[in-house]
This record gives sequence, structure tokens and C-alpha cells, in this order.
Amino acid sequence: MSSSEFLSQFLFTLISFAILLTLVGAVKRMLLWSQGQSSTIHWLGLLQIPRRYLVDLHHVVARDKYMSNTHVATAGGFVLSSILIILLYVFQLKLQILTWALLGSSLLMFVGSIFVMIRRRNPPPNLSLGKWQRLPKSLMVFSLSFFILTLPATGILPSDTGGWLLAVLLVAGIIWGIGEMFFGMTWGGPMKHAFAGALHLGLHRRQERFGNGQSTGLKAIDLSAKKLGVEKPIDFKWNQLLSFDACVECGRCENNCPAFAAGQPLNPKKLIQDMVIGMAGGDDAKFAGSPYPGIKVGTHKGGAIIPIVNVLVESDTLWSCTTCRACVDACPMMIEHVDAIVDMRRFETMEKGQTPGKGSEILENLSATDNPNGFDPSSRMNWAADQNLTVFGHDEKKQEVTEADVLLWIGDAAFDMRNQRTLRAIIKLLRAADVNFAVLGDAEFDSGDLARRLGDEATFQRLATSNISTMNKYQFKTIVTADPHAFHCIKNEYVEFGGNYNVMHHTGFFADLVTENKLLLDNSKELALTYHDPCYLGRYNGEYDAPRFLLESMGVKIKEMDRSKSTARCCGGGGGAPVTDIPGKQRIPDMRMADVVETKAEIVAVACPQCNLMLEGVVEPRPEVKDIAELMLDALIEGGIENTGEGVVVNMVGAQL
Amino acid sequence: MSELFRRDPRAQWIARNRLHPMHQALVIGPVFGPSGLLRKNLHIIGFIGPNGLKRIDRSGASNDSEQGSRRSATASEVILPLHQVIEPAFYVVVVLDLVSGRLNGHDKDTLGLAQQLANRNCGNDNGGGAVVAIAFGELKDDSLDKAGVDRLIHINDEQYAHYNPEQRCNDLQGIIAELDPQHILLPDSINGGGDLGRRLAAAMKQRPACGVWKLNDDSVVCRGSAGKSDITRPLSKLMLVMEECSEPVSETRHENIEIPQKSSRLVDGKLLDQGNISVDPNAIPLAEAGFILSGGNGINDWAQFHHTASVLGATEGASRVAVDDGNMPRERQVGATGTWVTAQVYIAVGISGAIQHMQGIGQCDKVVAINTDEGCDMVKRADISAIGDSTEILARLVELVEQRKLAKQTINEGTSNE
Amino acid sequence: MSNNNLSVISLVSIGEHPTSRRPRRAEQDARAIELGIKLVGDNLQTLHAGKLSDDPSQQTALRSYLGMGLSEIHLLEMSENADAVLVIAEYLKQQKIDIILTGVRAENGESSGMLPYLLAEQLGMAMVTSIAEILSIDEVNQQAEVLQALPRGQRRKLKIDLPFIASVDMAAAMPRQSAFGPAMRGQFEATQAATVTDQESSGWQVADAKKRPKRLKIIKAKTAADRFKAATAKASGGGGKVVHGVEESAQAILDLLVEEGLV
Repeated sequence: MSSSEFLSQFLFTLISFAILLTLVGAVKRMLLWSQGQSSTIHWLGLLQIPRRYLVDLHHVVARDKYMSNTHVATAGGFVLSSILIILLYVFQLKLQILTWALLGSSLLMFVGSIFVMIRRRNPPPNLSLGKWQRLPKSLMVFSLSFFILTLPATGILPSDTGGWLLAVLLVAGIIWGIGEMFFGMTWGGPMKHAFAGALHLGLHRRQERFGNGQSTGLKAIDLSAKKLGVEKPIDFKWNQLLSFDACVECGRCENNCPAFAAGQPLNPKKLIQDMVIGMAGGDDAKFAGSPYPGIKVGTHKGGAIIPIVNVLVESDTLWSCTTCRACVDACPMMIEHVDAIVDMRRFETMEKGQTPGKGSEILENLSATDNPNGFDPSSRMNWAADQNLTVFGHDEKKQEVTEADVLLWIGDAAFDMRNQRTLRAIIKLLRAADVNFAVLGDAEFDSGDLARRLGDEATFQRLATSNISTMNKYQFKTIVTADPHAFHCIKNEYVEFGGNYNVMHHTGFFADLVTENKLLLDNSKELALTYHDPCYLGRYNGEYDAPRFLLESMGVKIKEMDRSKSTARCCGGGGGAPVTDIPGKQRIPDMRMADVVETKAEIVAVACPQCNLMLEGVVEPRPEVKDIAELMLDALIEGGIENTGEGVVVNMVGAQL
Repeated sequence: MSELFRRDPRAQWIARNRLHPMHQALVIGPVFGPSGLLRKNLHIIGFIGPNGLKRIDRSGASNDSEQGSRRSATASEVILPLHQVIEPAFYVVVVLDLVSGRLNGHDKDTLGLAQQLANRNCGNDNGGGAVVAIAFGELKDDSLDKAGVDRLIHINDEQYAHYNPEQRCNDLQGIIAELDPQHILLPDSINGGGDLGRRLAAAMKQRPACGVWKLNDDSVVCRGSAGKSDITRPLSKLMLVMEECSEPVSETRHENIEIPQKSSRLVDGKLLDQGNISVDPNAIPLAEAGFILSGGNGINDWAQFHHTASVLGATEGASRVAVDDGNMPRERQVGATGTWVTAQVYIAVGISGAIQHMQGIGQCDKVVAINTDEGCDMVKRADISAIGDSTEILARLVELVEQRKLAKQTINEGTSNE
Repeated sequence: MSNNNLSVISLVSIGEHPTSRRPRRAEQDARAIELGIKLVGDNLQTLHAGKLSDDPSQQTALRSYLGMGLSEIHLLEMSENADAVLVIAEYLKQQKIDIILTGVRAENGESSGMLPYLLAEQLGMAMVTSIAEILSIDEVNQQAEVLQALPRGQRRKLKIDLPFIASVDMAAAMPRQSAFGPAMRGQFEATQAATVTDQESSGWQVADAKKRPKRLKIIKAKTAADRFKAATAKASGGGGKVVHGVEESAQAILDLLVEEGLV
């Protein structure tokens, strides 16, 4: 028997056996996932895997061009090679074209693996080491082995080249390669991401995210369930468990996480890896990436039926999250970190009653007064005593109305003296544009955003349903609000409770008014200004343009920060982070203000009351913080516009200056 | 010389006639009008203000301070008329709190209300009741007569230096059985009156009116629902009254005759006072603290800050920035986002006064700002603003306070040696 | 502390929020429960006299006590204006209780703070008001050491004989957070109680609290000019004084502290 005959025989056995083992591993892994709670299975999604992989996933990966090209070469080469290997060596289809194809695909993969190797030479801190350092070598060995193996079959080299020596080397290489690439895929090797990732793309819990869609609202839970929230890994939905396995430990989440940067004990990557440990059992000693700041690796362990918090993950880790969604947005595997964190917070708050910091006080206030700071609910409109606002209602004596074009949602800024200034500006602008609007007055409750993100789903649902039933009493076309948190809640999270509204953030609404020439802005001012994207407006709702359009309408050339739009850094005010107040090495708003200072801007425009408070809380001297509405009011040309028959005639009283 | 007022028609004529050559010389002194009343010459007092308008400062701040002090000195010598109750038609009993042996405002208000109850529906001298004050323990105050005490029962014994509400309650029951008063009033306070009054009510099986803050003709108004509602109800025998329920007695003097008391039966108490325990000012929750020294971004020397707080005996507070920078723990943060404080005196050192901070100190009585920036919001709010380097001012303040303590100590030692 | 043989019961009422006036867990009662849980853990019994609404949304106030980790609340069902003292005393007489914990006063109704005193009288127990902490319990000598809260953060240590009633002050440790899940799953064990209606209070008039006028400084001046001076002096003097210089500043602050009696 020649060495090539032996190889062919041997490979049949080896690959068949490896595939068998891989299948066994796959079933075992699936059994791990199936420990989770039931959730809708989107079978059709499985058909979409290639498309989602090539479009949606690569859309994220391509933010790093080097990596995206490398991945195309490596992954494409591998997938193609695998198929060909199976055809050639298992089904023994000895077609010359397949052999040539295999030669090409393994070469492609080999080239990719060289780039992987180069990147892994001096790996940036966000990359995990350990088994991930082995991967480029395995890729190389796999591709090289099959490349050499295929050379004789194509006739480039005579068969039996190298004799037994090469055959033995190839056998060794193939065993390593197949072991890593096939066997490792379902038995916990680095290639697990390919197997779990592919299934995760197909069976994702938020199918709407694919094809440029958006799905950012938290999912409601049944409050009459036996257990509220997630205590143990098996309390996650099965597809969440699957998603954890998809993590490729690229650390892009870590790079974008404001809490991690501030030295708070959170690293989204480690959190997801801890969830994997929890699901499969074991400890975190083998984790080879950045730890949670301030917490040593190797001190925690977990299991599928062992409570997570304070055993596997410290509670401070969960409460450091600002729910800014930067990790989710950066994740090429489309893992939903925020969902997992909020699920665990729900158990902490609703079952254990252990919301840290001022959390419990805030939640108690919300249930007693419908606002987080416990102000008298009947004083909600005190700030507007001089504004003569039209209020929705049925009392005709008070000139209440049941119908208006716009419902102006005030939000909790009503109780905050700083943000009342923004509200006043908005009202002046609405009046300048002659918008027919009304407010809910004292009948408006907190939107529930804070309660929900602190894990108190019960309070959120109460607030949401009350607000919906209040709003359903009246007719209006649009809800306008200055608070992106309320905006997100009403737009995306009230839907599950029967509230379907056309909601606009004030920047979007004003942008339309400016386009329609209903508001005229003076564009002669030269301001050194930068714009800070609120997470709940930008990443949560994709609104990056309207605020910029408004600023540009005022003649401002925005000095963009490095981290802007979808990579904008959070101000630190979301998700109840200021309430739970987990200590770190520095404060998130200070870091964000440093970003602002770097642009040499004198003013930072914001579009969110929470950002306003957080950034204004930075010690002076610092750039001025102003809401876009305030800036617009400064630039508003009063007298506005008269519509004549011939078109728009501008009253140029102010504009000539 | 006689103090009779004599008119000098010539001088008056000169004073009226501004063109008279002697006019200026004469009007410098006090000028009396035709009826003998003192007249002020508005032409010579006051000053020309910034707008060129004449301004007269009537506050007494500028020129009258000397006169004012003289006047108050004479006023204190005024002997108030004595209110006598020879044959009391009935009694109104007041149990005094006597914090450290002295009447406090709450005691005085309670006595004021008691006098109202004793003297309503009657003329000056007949049919009126007498107010019996009951004092437990040491009595250092000598102004009981001016506070409206007609009769005094003073029970003093070593054990009354301690908290012994059961014994006091028992004594009161004895006294009440003897006097059969129309009303029994206690201050509804945390200094003992509230507790004692309720014990007494339970023992006497009397339903008390608690939190009384206003007396109408035949009814009282009480705070109910923990201060959220007003309950108007008939007068009851036992009433626990709030501070400022009535004006204290100020126009009369009272007899303050001590009624000798038989020694009362000793009660075998179930409560035993073990004494007050010393509380570190910093262990007092901020919301409860009465005196807060609060530090902010303008503090360079935190060791000195802590030292000052301990010398002053103040509870430490902090602005958000000081907390964020790790100079103070989070639970010390004052403001809308931290703790809302209710201190009697709040000293803000190096705090410029963010809106949230100002909201949080809204209920403070006196605010002192120490700051380098005279234009900051805290200075606008403060009752006293010290502009300058906080380190120096605090150092000097500590010195002054320590000097004062030392001086006090020597005085105390002097008196105890006598 | 392990006080397993101790029988501790806490009495809870339905509180009322000071501004929204919505029913809630009463702050002092919640502190009493916290104290009780720290003392005897799961053995803490809880009692409420009143009616339980059939509407779950009206039960939230009582349920929020359950949310602190109690498995059940014993309910003595009585009509709304019945006298709770009699009902509770009748029930407690049949139990062997070592410590009864209550709040200092209710957050609604008459809010007289009499309940613990009346119970103490009827049950012949010792009574201590406004405690901040139970320091120790000596079961052999049947005595306990407690800390009583005095104004402005001061504390007094007291020895008290068991059994006793203690009302718990706001100065006691903050109550633990009430969690929604346990609150919904906790049970009420109801018994019907014979009730005596409170006749006396039916004649009272109840209105929202009026703001009390701020007392003016009493001016003991005999002439109009003096009264005028005294009335205006306050407005112009004192407020917003700005002092420069280290010595003057320190002196001004000291004067204020002396005036306020703090030094």
C-alpha cells in the first residue's frame, strides 16, 4: 500500500470519526442550551443564516477593515474547504474540479490565517489570549495540511511525493487541524463561535434586528410567573444561552463599554464568558481576557443550577451597566448583553429586593408618587405655572382639551430646575411654529424607563399601562418629548402593552419644522460646538441626523468627537447607573467631558435631560452644556414667516444683523 | 430736677423758623412739638443716596444702636403686673419637659395655652383657674413666674435625674387624683412629654388629644395622619400640645407658689435608664443632623476639614463633587441627588452651589458660606458669607472655638472651686 | 443574634405617603419589621388589624411588608372604623409574646401614637417608645437592652424587662427593600375579629392640614416707633451678610454659632 492510498483510507476513517464526534458534541451543546426556558423558535431564520452572516454580521465586522478581510478569507476558505473535504474524503467523489477547488480554498484559508497570525503577534488588550492564541496556528496547520495533501491529487506534484515521512507529518497536521476545526467546534474550542454563532444568527431572539431593522426595547415578562427574572443560568431563555456560546471574545464590547473604561467592575466580554461558564459548569480560571476591573480572575465559579449573582458574577458588575447598548451595537455576533443584564437585575430587584445605592428609595418613590424623587405628584406642573399650557382633560371650565395635534410629553425634567429651562425653550419654539399642542399635566406619570432598567418590571408595567390608558382618552397625532428615555419607552416598549403611538424626539420634530420653514433659525452665529449623542436617541433609535441637521441650520460646523454617532460614549446617566452608583476609578461623565474638551469646543450640545445633568455635573471650568432646544431658541428669528400667496416671505428683522 | 416738661416758646419759635440765625444751633438737640411730643427734624437726619435722593435709615442699624441698647436695658427693668389667683376655681396642670432643668420654648407655649384655658370664660379676678406646673428633677430656671406658673409642684429626688417615666406617671396620677384638674397639658415632644402624656392617658383610661396646635372656643385643632390632616375635636381633659400652640405668657407675672408634695409611692419600674451614650457626630444620619459642616470642591486640606468638624462638633457633609472625587463617602452627599438636610446651621466650605445642592439644603435654617468666589450661588443663599481662603478661615475659626472652650472651662472650674 | 426561643410579633398598619397620600408600607412599621427580622429571622410574626381589599391593586401596601421576606401576615379582620386596640389586645392575650414591635404612630387617621401604650396597659407589659435598636436580650434574666432615639441623633441606653412593647423610631435601621415577587406570593391568614366601633371620633371634623403661620418675633416695644424699628430691622439686617478677611470671617461665623447655641 502506498502512502497516498493509506492517506486516503485513513482520512476516510478519521474524518468520518471526527464528524461523528462533532455531531455528538453538537447534541451535547444543544442539550446545554435546552436547559434554558422556552422561547419562540424562529425556524425560518435558519434559512437566513448565510445572508445574515454575509450582510448583517459583516456589516459590524467591517468596522474593522483588516479583520473583516481576514475573516472573509479564513472563514470563507474554511467553510469551502470543509465541504470539499467531506465530498472528497467521506463521500469519495474523486472529481478533479473538487480537488482543484480544495487546493484554492485551503490556500485562501492559509492566507487568511497568516493575517490572523500577524494580528495575534502583539494582540491589543481587548483580545483574549489562551486558547485563542492557538487558533491561528491551528488554522494554518489545517489549511497547509490539506493544501499539501491536495497537491499530488491535482497532479502538480507526483503522487507519493515525500513518501511516508510526509504522510506521517500530514496525518499529524490533519489530526490537529480537524481536531481544532471540527471536534473543537462543538467541544468548547475557539471554533465554537462558528457553530453556535451560525445557529444564533438563525435563531436570534430579536429577529427584527436583521436587514437593517431595529429591536431595542426590553422584553416584558409575565409578572405572575413563579420566578421573576434570572437567578440561575437555566432561567435564561434557551436562545439566550445559545447566544452566549456565540461569543468570539473579540473584545469590541470591552472597547466600547463606558463602565469598563471608568474602572467599574464590568467587562461585557467577561460577563458573556461567565454566562458560558455558568451554563456548562466550571470556574473562570481559564478566562484569558481582561478581567472585570478590580476583580481577580479565577475566584468565581458557577453551574447551570447555581445562582449567578455573588457566586459567579458580583452584583456590582450587573449594576455598573448604563444600558447604553454600546456593547450590543459593537458585537459582531449580535449578542444581547443588555437583555441578559436586565434579566439578572430583575431577579435582584423583584425577588431579592437588593437594588443597590438609592435604588430601593427611588423604586419606592415611583410606586408612591409616580416620580423617582418622591415629589408631590400634584406639583408636577408647578414649573409651568407661568406658561399657560393647554392641558388634556375633560374639565371645560379649566379650558381642558381632548384633542390636539401634538402631545408634549414633559417627563421628569418637570421636577428638575435645570431641565425646566429646556422645557421652556421647547414651549417657546412650539409656539413660535404655531404648533397646536397640549400636555397631560398631573396625569402624566414617569415613563417607567428607570424602574424597568433597575429591574422593577412590576412598577414599569404599572406606569406603562397607566400612561397608556391616560393617553388613550385623548386624540393627538404625535407625541413629542425632550427625553430620549421616555421617547424610547413610549415608542418601543409600550407596544407590548397596547400603546402604539407616533412618537418623536423634539430634535426630530423641530427638524421637520425647520425643513418646512415653520421655524426660522439665524445661521450667522459662529459657535465652537460639538454634539453628544444620547444613547437612547442614537443607538436605541438610530436618530443621528436630526440633531446635526438642526445644529447645521444654525450655521454650526460641528466639531465631532472621535466617539460619536453609533460609537458615542454614554454620559453615564442611563440604566439607573447614577442611582446604583457603583464606584470606579473615574467617572463616566468626566471621561465624556474629556472627549468634548479634546475637540476644543466651547459648547457641547445635548439632546437629553439626563446627559445634561451628568455633563453639567462635571467640575468647572468645562465647556458649556446646552440642550439643542436652548440653542435653537437663542438662534430663533422671531416674527418668523408669513405665508403669502407667492410663497414664503421671510421677515428679516433679526437675520440682517 | 423736676422731670416736668416745660415749654420754651422762644426756642420753639426759633426751631420752627428755619431762617432764624440761631435755628441750626437749636435743632441739634431733641426738639419737642407744641404738644410736648418729641419731633424728629427730617432735614438733618439721613443721608443723600446714590440717586441723589435723601434716604433715612430707620432700621436702627446705622445710628441708633446706642439708643436701642439703652432702651432695652430700661425695658428689662419693667416690672410686669402680678396675676394672682387666690381661690382657684379649678386647676390646669402642666407637666414641664425641663430639658436640662430649664424651660424651653415648648414648655413656655404649653404654659401659655394653660393660662388661656385657666382664664377663659371669666373676668379678671373671679372664677379663674390656676395653672399648676409640675417639675420633675432639678429646676434651674428662675423665670417660672414670668412664664405663667401660678402654682408649682416640684418633685426632686435623685432618681428623677434619670429617665423614669413609670415613676413619673405614677406620681402624676397621685397629683391628679388630689387636684382633680380640669385639663392636663403636656408638650407633645420627644423630650419626655410625649411619652409621659401617653403613659398617663393609658393609665387613666383617658383619650388624649394629641398634636394639639390651636385652641378654638370649645374645640381644639390637632394634627392627624402624621401631620397631613387637621382634626377639629372637642376639648379633652388630657392634651398633648405642639410647639407654638399658643403665645407664651409675656404680659404678666404669676405667683409661682410651691405646693408641698407628699412623698410618693415608689414604683417598681420595668425600665432602667443606663444613661446616654456618646454619639459621634459623624454617626448621626445627615438628615437628622442639626449642625453640618459640608465640604466641596474648594477644599484643599481634607485633614483640616475633618479636624474642624470634630472641634465644632459638627456632622460632616459633602457636595457631589467631593464625593465623586473620593474625598467623602457617598452617604455624606448633600443635595437633591444625595440627602435632603434640615440642619439648624449649615456651613458650606468651598461649595459653589449647584442647583441640586441648593435644593437639598432648602430647609436649613442658617446657611454659612465660606468661598473664594463672591458671585457663586451659595453666597447668594447664605446668611453669612465669608470670602477668602477656606483653609485660613477654618484654621482661625478652630482657634477661636478652642479659645472659647478653654475660657469656659476656666470659668467652670472657678465656679466649682467656690 | 440567635434568639430562637423568643416570640416576637410586629404590628403593621397601612401607611400613607406624605405628599401623594397613597397607601404604602408605613415607614416606622417597616423599620419595626426590619428590627424583628434581625432579631429572630423567619420566626417573626406579623399582625395587621383591618380589612384586606379584594382588589389586588389595593393590597399593595400590606403586600409590601410581605415583600420584605415574610411568609405571611396574620390578619384580624375588622371594619374600617373599629377600634384596633381592643381587637389586637384580645388576640395578643391568647398568645405568649415576648416582644411586640410597632411604629411610633400611624401615618393616617388620628395618628395619636396611643396604640402601643394602650396595649401595654391592657397586657400589663413594659413599654418603651422610639427605640432605634435592640442591643441584646438576656433570656435568663428576662431583660433586654435597647437604644432609645433622642433628638438630633442622640441615644439613650435602657434596660427593660421582658415581655415588652417597643415602638420603633425613624432613627432605626432602614428597612430592607420590598421585593415584588415575595410580596405577591406571601399569604394572609385571616381571622374574623369582634369589633367595637369608635363612636367618639365620628363627631370630629377632619380636613387637610393647614399650613401653620410662622410665628412672628414678639416685640415687647411700648411705642410705635420701636415696633416699627423691630419689625423692619430683621428685613434689612443679618440676611446675606458678606464678610471679607480671615479674622472678621471667623469671628462672624463664631458669633452665629454662639447665637445658635452650637458652641
